[in-house]
Amino acid sequence: MAASPFASRSPSVAVTSPNTLRLKASGGTASKPTPMPDQELTEQLNAEVRQKYVKDKKLGEGTYAVVYLGHLRDDPSSFVAIKKIKVNAEYKDGLTMDAIREVKYLQELSHPNVIALHDVFSSKDQNLSLVLEFLPRGDLEMLIKDGDIQYGAADIKAWMGMLARGVWFCHENFVLHRDIKPNNLLVASDGEVKLADFGLARSFADPYLNMTHQVITRWYRPPELLYGARQYSGAVDVWSMGMVFAELLLRVPFVAGNTDLDQTSKICEAFGTPTEDNWPGVTQLPNYIPTDPAHRVPLQGRDFFLRQFPTAGPVGADLLMSMCALDPRKRSTAVQVLRHNWWTMDPQPTRNEDLPRKTGTKKMGEDLSRRGGEIDDGPFKNAARQLDFGAMK
Amino acid sequence: MASKNGISRRDEDEVCPVCKSSRYLNPNMRFLINPECYHKMCESCVDRIFSSGPSSCPVAGCRKTLRKNRFRAQTFEDIGVEREVDIRRRVMHILNRREEEFDSKRAYDDFLEQREEMIANLVCRTDVARTEAQLQRYATENMQSIRANQAIEEEEASSFQARMTLEQEEARLRRQLAREQIENERREIQAGREDMLSRLASGSSADAAAIAREGHKVLLKKSSARRSEEDRIRQKQAALRGSELKRSGLSASADMASSSGLIKGLRKIKTPEPEKPYDPFMGYVPEKRDYYTLQQSYPSVYLDRVKNDTRVAAGGYDLREYYARTMVEAFAGLGCFVEDEVAQRSVA
Repeated sequence: MAASPFASRSPSVAVTSPNTLRLKASGGTASKPTPMPDQELTEQLNAEVRQKYVKDKKLGEGTYAVVYLGHLRDDPSSFVAIKKIKVNAEYKDGLTMDAIREVKYLQELSHPNVIALHDVFSSKDQNLSLVLEFLPRGDLEMLIKDGDIQYGAADIKAWMGMLARGVWFCHENFVLHRDIKPNNLLVASDGEVKLADFGLARSFADPYLNMTHQVITRWYRPPELLYGARQYSGAVDVWSMGMVFAELLLRVPFVAGNTDLDQTSKICEAFGTPTEDNWPGVTQLPNYIPTDPAHRVPLQGRDFFLRQFPTAGPVGADLLMSMCALDPRKRSTAVQVLRHNWWTMDPQPTRNEDLPRKTGTKKMGEDLSRRGGEIDDGPFKNAARQLDFGAMK
Repeated sequence: MASKNGISRRDEDEVCPVCKSSRYLNPNMRFLINPECYHKMCESCVDRIFSSGPSSCPVAGCRKTLRKNRFRAQTFEDIGVEREVDIRRRVMHILNRREEEFDSKRAYDDFLEQREEMIANLVCRTDVARTEAQLQRYATENMQSIRANQAIEEEEASSFQARMTLEQEEARLRRQLAREQIENERREIQAGREDMLSRLASGSSADAAAIAREGHKVLLKKSSARRSEEDRIRQKQAALRGSELKRSGLSASADMASSSGLIKGLRKIKTPEPEKPYDPFMGYVPEKRDYYTLQQSYPSVYLDRVKNDTRVAAGGYDLREYYARTMVEAFAGLGCFVEDEVAQRSVA
């Protein structure tokens, strides 16, 4: 479980760390552009990792990080995404929490439905760069919002299966993701959905250790967090999963509140008002808002889910209902979700290669947004096309 | 079949062996045979004996039961040949594997030999029961592939017919075109000559030679232009024909179920693996514990406060997760052999 980020998960097979270690320990050699011999071993190792990759072009920029497309120096066909964490004014003396969390938990998790962290290195100005698996086919949010893409129950089952496996694997290793939403579910080139952005992740199940309730994007936040619970479990991720499931079925967010309060009332409206009867102890939660007994909505039953989500079918609606139980103790765990008989029922989940995919509009959009005469391509862009080895005979 | 000479045979044939009426009395007499026993009789005998249903063969010593609908005219003079052709047709109809279905030429040859042997067995009445049983079993086992191959054969036959008619039509058109061309050429030469003559008649005598040379040149130019035009058309037609052939070409022989037993060396047909049932865990084993069993509860004073706190419980916190985690962490290192893993990594 405790694998180092420098270890064997790298996409390159050629680079073996034991050799390089010995090499470096003996003072470095002239065969590679090696750093100064008077550097510390850690610095040497860092430089070693940094030189393994080549940065090609910028893929996107956010407030927190810049993402570049890169590839292994030895193998131009192996793409990686290099996420360079920006130096944050707030954390002058160290790293942002997000970066630490992301590295800490991603390096421990290795699963087909969790984005792989290949390497971590720092650049000269102490910036942290994460070398992540490159997932070129966008995210689930893009697929949900694109009206040109049509998908059916089998596709939803395939996506949900991959999501549930990823979440289950995190929980099995006692990591809460705490930010599950469609745009954190990236799609790999083979159609596999992967859980990404572990900036809010943390390990769980410590008693007497308070956790923050200010996590998870509001529309996907479970009621216990809205009520300010400081001790919670994997059930929070399962609620988010249920919301993603509902959004996949409806193609719009199911409960989309404008504020936290609005979100709470919307959840009450949709699923029923939490009371001491259906959720023992709920009134003792720190931010519990007493509700007007006159406006109490009874807990929604199976009929409601079947009516709201006819495309899921009776068994799918049952699964969704179990994921959206108000009381986190009554909510299914990730294992229970995967053990539901919806997975084995017809329709069978679509195979990855047949899943609907976003056509190259994003790439096209980038091309179109480029200014005239501007070249933003990396040095090796289109190299394969220009060098026509077929003509050499 | 013991036979005397041809003429006497024909004379003999003129008499129906059943009713003894002869062609002399009934010039329209037709002889029919039944592939059951191949005994010959005249049409009126068949009508007379078998109209009221199946009956036994009237030829002395033959106890075969015959049906009227199986009677047919004889194709070959020699009844032995007739019978062999019938048998051959029947066997080939069942054992209709095609060459492309076999691994090797050798396997196909073996198959052909086997088929011939079976035909010979049936013709010479050796081992008939066994051969028939073999045939029957093969037919039932390979119903599908037999059907498919029959369909292919039919298609081939019909497409061959179509090709033949197409070719005939093309040849006719080609001939017609050639005739027209010759005619055109002749007419043009004629016109050119007349034109030259009229110009010579109207023009001065000084440049008569020049006019003649020019006229000749024009003729040559015209004919060469015509020839290149013809070439172009011909090439186009050839290309068209090629594409047509390709389109009507045989579709790849359909996949067939492999036979059991009788025929060897058939090409293995890859049937796609049946899809495995969906495993929601994709091979991972949930809650895998090698060294311990997890209890529902562990007594601990340290945890009592959490256990009894309804607020903690209302938030969804579950002590069982803490137990699980503690146990996993306690046993985490067991069964991990770092040296082996490092060795494996260096091998990779």
